[in-house]
Amino acid sequence: MEKGNILEVKNIHKRFTSKGITVKAVTDVSFSVKEGETIGIVGESGCGKTTLGRCIVRAYDASEGEVFYRTEAGEEVDFLKVDRKKMKSIRKEIQMIFQDPYSSLDPRMTVLDIIKEPLKANFPKMSKSEMDAKAKEMAEKVGLNPSYLMRYPHAFSGGQRQRIGIARALVLNPKIIVCDEAVSALDVSIQAQVINLLRDLQKEFGLTYLFISHDLSVVEHISDKVGVMYLGKMVEYAETEELFGTPRHPYTEALMSAVPIADPTIKTERIPLKGEIPNPANPPSGCFFHTRCRYCTEQCVNAAPEYKEITPGHFVACHRAEELTLKGIIMEGNKITLAKNEIPGA
Amino acid sequence: MKENNILEIKDLHIDINMMEGKLTPVRGVSFDIRKGETLGLVGESGCGKSITCKAILGINDKKCVPHGQIMFDCEDTGETDLLSLNPKGKEIRNVRGKQISMIFQEPMVAFSPMYTIGNQINEATLLHITKDKKKAKEITLEVMRKVGIANVEKRYKQYPHEFSGGMLQRALIAMALVCNPKLLIADEPTTALDVTIQAQILELMQELQKEFNMAILFITHDLGVVARMCDRVAVMYLGRIVESGPAATIYADPEHPYTRGLIGSVHKIGGKKEDRLFSIPGTVPLAMNLSKACGFYDRCDARIEGLCDKAEPDLVEIAPGHCVACFNCPHEACRKQKEEAMARIKAEEEAAAAQPENEKGGKKRGKR
Repeated sequence: MEKGNILEVKNIHKRFTSKGITVKAVTDVSFSVKEGETIGIVGESGCGKTTLGRCIVRAYDASEGEVFYRTEAGEEVDFLKVDRKKMKSIRKEIQMIFQDPYSSLDPRMTVLDIIKEPLKANFPKMSKSEMDAKAKEMAEKVGLNPSYLMRYPHAFSGGQRQRIGIARALVLNPKIIVCDEAVSALDVSIQAQVINLLRDLQKEFGLTYLFISHDLSVVEHISDKVGVMYLGKMVEYAETEELFGTPRHPYTEALMSAVPIADPTIKTERIPLKGEIPNPANPPSGCFFHTRCRYCTEQCVNAAPEYKEITPGHFVACHRAEELTLKGIIMEGNKITLAKNEIPGA
Repeated sequence: MKENNILEIKDLHIDINMMEGKLTPVRGVSFDIRKGETLGLVGESGCGKSITCKAILGINDKKCVPHGQIMFDCEDTGETDLLSLNPKGKEIRNVRGKQISMIFQEPMVAFSPMYTIGNQINEATLLHITKDKKKAKEITLEVMRKVGIANVEKRYKQYPHEFSGGMLQRALIAMALVCNPKLLIADEPTTALDVTIQAQILELMQELQKEFNMAILFITHDLGVVARMCDRVAVMYLGRIVESGPAATIYADPEHPYTRGLIGSVHKIGGKKEDRLFSIPGTVPLAMNLSKACGFYDRCDARIEGLCDKAEPDLVEIAPGHCVACFNCPHEACRKQKEEAMARIKAEEEAAAAQPENEKGGKKRGKR
């Protein structure tokens, strides 16, 4: 593992087979994460972003590949290969926040019990009063009133429930949190509250986030680096500003042009994507995106592009990445424009 | 009704009587929609936007009791108050689905899984346009083609589970447009869809709007979508409209603190990366047993103690077409309203102080 990296995902594959049909949900995804960073994973529904997140926390067993993780003790392990006992101890450091704050909390447990449950599972010898104290402390950290802890989840609103979910993930003092659409189900004003909370907690505890979302604006706001997924493959991965300013993959370009910007004075020109996302059980030949790409050539139909580093830290899987001039989103003064990019040397 | 208006809602109240008490999800909503325009109704969940729209069509639950007026420019009877019509009667059925139609939030739920798509769209055609089955099918196929469904003959015979989300939403739009309505109510039509599909559907709606020259009432909580689609915007909070006006004005200089908060809490892509997003503290209160205070009082950063907790501001026009309901707004009309309210509160307080002590105490106990 490289120095400073906390997580390295290497060539991870996940296949689901049912009734003789194999669906490649995640195909050959690799990326690395530095400690304290936030990595955003974006893509349309069905692109495999949730599956990827679940493979990393080992909620699913990946079909192939490795996830190297540097533990708190400084040990480097392949999280996918360790035995169950070891996995349990490492999982204390890798936690998850789920999408739906309504179905991810047990309605028959009090909030205190919900936050305490990870402690019960991982520290059976811890005394009850110590657990209560830790749970209460964490509840306060995420902005829940400790006097409400004896209530049941139904008594809380969506935003507060999401805070309960965050407290439950944080109570074990994890290092990495996988946030799977953690704010998607919330209203705009509540979404802003939860995003701010996540950022504050990151500063306080030095957390590393893997932020999975379909909402590009949220991802752009919170992430240091962003990976774009399409049909199970990572098609582009770069620092946030670089990715949004100078995208190199046609899919990223189209995805960004489709995001409505909350300002009526900005008229963006949408780059149309033909048709719909293909069936992952029967993906197209060559580059998976060629059926919808406006820059498609014969080469794209026949051969799958290699996922390579085109400039330092900017990974793309496109045959024409070097020759194309794609549109990104650029900020000029107070105006946001969709601008043409001049690629140096092109 | 003013000329050019197709729908006018005046002082609409909706009450729901429940075991725990009376719920008031809509408390005096007024707005109008002009021919061929798109009005965006924006607000967070629970602010009463969906229930308002369902009241227009009279498809709310029996428990919801509406008061007020919903004037609609009917084809045959002229101006009609939709609320005065029997919700099960013939007249409203002539409006519902034919002159005003609706697109629902989740296309997966809006269709019955038991019937083919063609069958379900055809239902509207047979009910409102023609009784001839062959002709009806032709009309249905034509409208399905118009909304961009390829291979219509085959699609006509398919069931909802064979459609993707985006295609189903297209089918739902086809169903709504088959009778060539004058007003289309779109209740969060793209919330359940991916951004790329959302962009396709929004473009389709704009094209069809031009072609059919219909008005759209667009309900959403996504301010980005509103910016792209709407001519005018009405912002709703706790059953009231707190600000309305042309979209450009609302985004450029919002006057109500809630509107400001909403716009501020959305991160604009490519925008400056401040460390924190602006966020409105607290949550939307439950619309039950509301006090006299302004609905936004608890969460407002511009509240005036002693005024905003004792009176609720009305929606007043501060510039042509731009209305705001806030005491703490520097414009002339709002200042006037503020002074009046202050005088009223003062008078009430004096009257209360003049009352003898024991009577006051007795009253309080009685209330409990």
